[in-house]
Amino acid sequence: MRLETLFLVTVCGLGVGACGGAAVPHAQITSAEASVRAAEVGGAQGVPKAELHLKHARDQIEAAKRLIEEGENERALYVLKRAEADAELALALAEEQQSRRDAEGALKRIQQLTEQ
Amino acid sequence: MAQNSSIGSIRQLLGLGGITVLLGACGAAIPPQELVDARAAYQQAVESPASEWAPAKLDTARQSLEEAEAAFEDDPDSELTRDLAYIAERRARASAAAGQREQNKRRLAQLEAEYQELERKQANMTKEELEKMRARLEEERRRAAAGEQALAQKDEALAQKEAEIEREREARKAAEGKLSAAIASLKEMGSVKEESRGVVITLSGSVLFATGEYNLLPIAKEKLNEVATALKDQGYKKIVIEGHTDSRGSAAKNQELSLQRAQSVKAHLVTQGMDASKIEAVGLGPDRPVATNDTAEGRAMNRRVELVVEPE
Repeated sequence: MRLETLFLVTVCGLGVGACGGAAVPHAQITSAEASVRAAEVGGAQGVPKAELHLKHARDQIEAAKRLIEEGENERALYVLKRAEADAELALALAEEQQSRRDAEGALKRIQQLTEQ
Repeated sequence: MAQNSSIGSIRQLLGLGGITVLLGACGAAIPPQELVDARAAYQQAVESPASEWAPAKLDTARQSLEEAEAAFEDDPDSELTRDLAYIAERRARASAAAGQREQNKRRLAQLEAEYQELERKQANMTKEELEKMRARLEEERRRAAAGEQALAQKDEALAQKEAEIEREREARKAAEGKLSAAIASLKEMGSVKEESRGVVITLSGSVLFATGEYNLLPIAKEKLNEVATALKDQGYKKIVIEGHTDSRGSAAKNQELSLQRAQSVKAHLVTQGMDASKIEAVGLGPDRPVATNDTAEGRAMNRRVELVVEPE
């Protein structure tokens, strides 16, 4: 009985070590948070579509942190990857919007110049 | 860039081929919504300017989609499949946005160049217009100056003319004054009247000459000096000096005496600077009496010298 118990504990322990024992994804947290900051600096908060993805990114970082607290590090890793993808999309959308405005502004200036 | 674009396109084709193969391998498994969205987003990205302007990002999106497809192949219902598909969908959209952004940036650069070119053209046009305007103004200024100069010259000429006229007027006035004074003076020894033949100055013979003489008396010379000055100032075309006598004595003697007296007057006037060529002396004797020769008073009036002045 003792040996059986020991065996089970060992097997379980090994199992935990192999499946649920993923390391806390510190690098991914840093990376995701950096992407969020980049999106913020890039003006994502002023662009509705970009802001939505920025919010998703923030929410998912928070969710990932909760998962880490619960020991769900592997799941947290992918949630953080999703957060990073959202933050990057937010930045891309913001930059695209800004470039569109710049081009429109240039076009307006030309129109104004030709109307003078 | 063109090379990168070509490489990107090849990769996309390979990627799509791989995805198709994977789809074929999936068989009847129903893909999660995230994967459906990812595939659609990727397809849109491929058709967007990302193919040309953001091939690297599009390639990243392709790889992400391949990973999602692979996960779907392994385990269609797994959370990993949905996570990877979610990430692939975001990356596909991000690559499309990046492509659009690059295209916008190029459009912006093009528009800015266009703006600068337009501005330069306008500046040149303005410069040209300014030059034209300057030239026009300069021409106008030159014309105005020329006009002013001409006007000034005209004014000056007019002023000179006016001054000349004024001088002439003054001179005439002075001459007239002198003549008037001379005439007034002459009136003491004769008369002045205007007739059709000219201004006739009649000088009494008794004032000019002693009886039977033709030499001028001193007082007569003084008076004739005044007449000479007045006539020179006034100007004259011709003067005829007529000597007249009364009817007493021989006609021949009277004729001779009248001529001699007229010549004496002429000679004196010439000594006063009058032009001899403009003066004619004639002796008319008793032929043109102005009064009766029957009385002493009448005869005295007939003994006379007349200066007939033809004005200029």
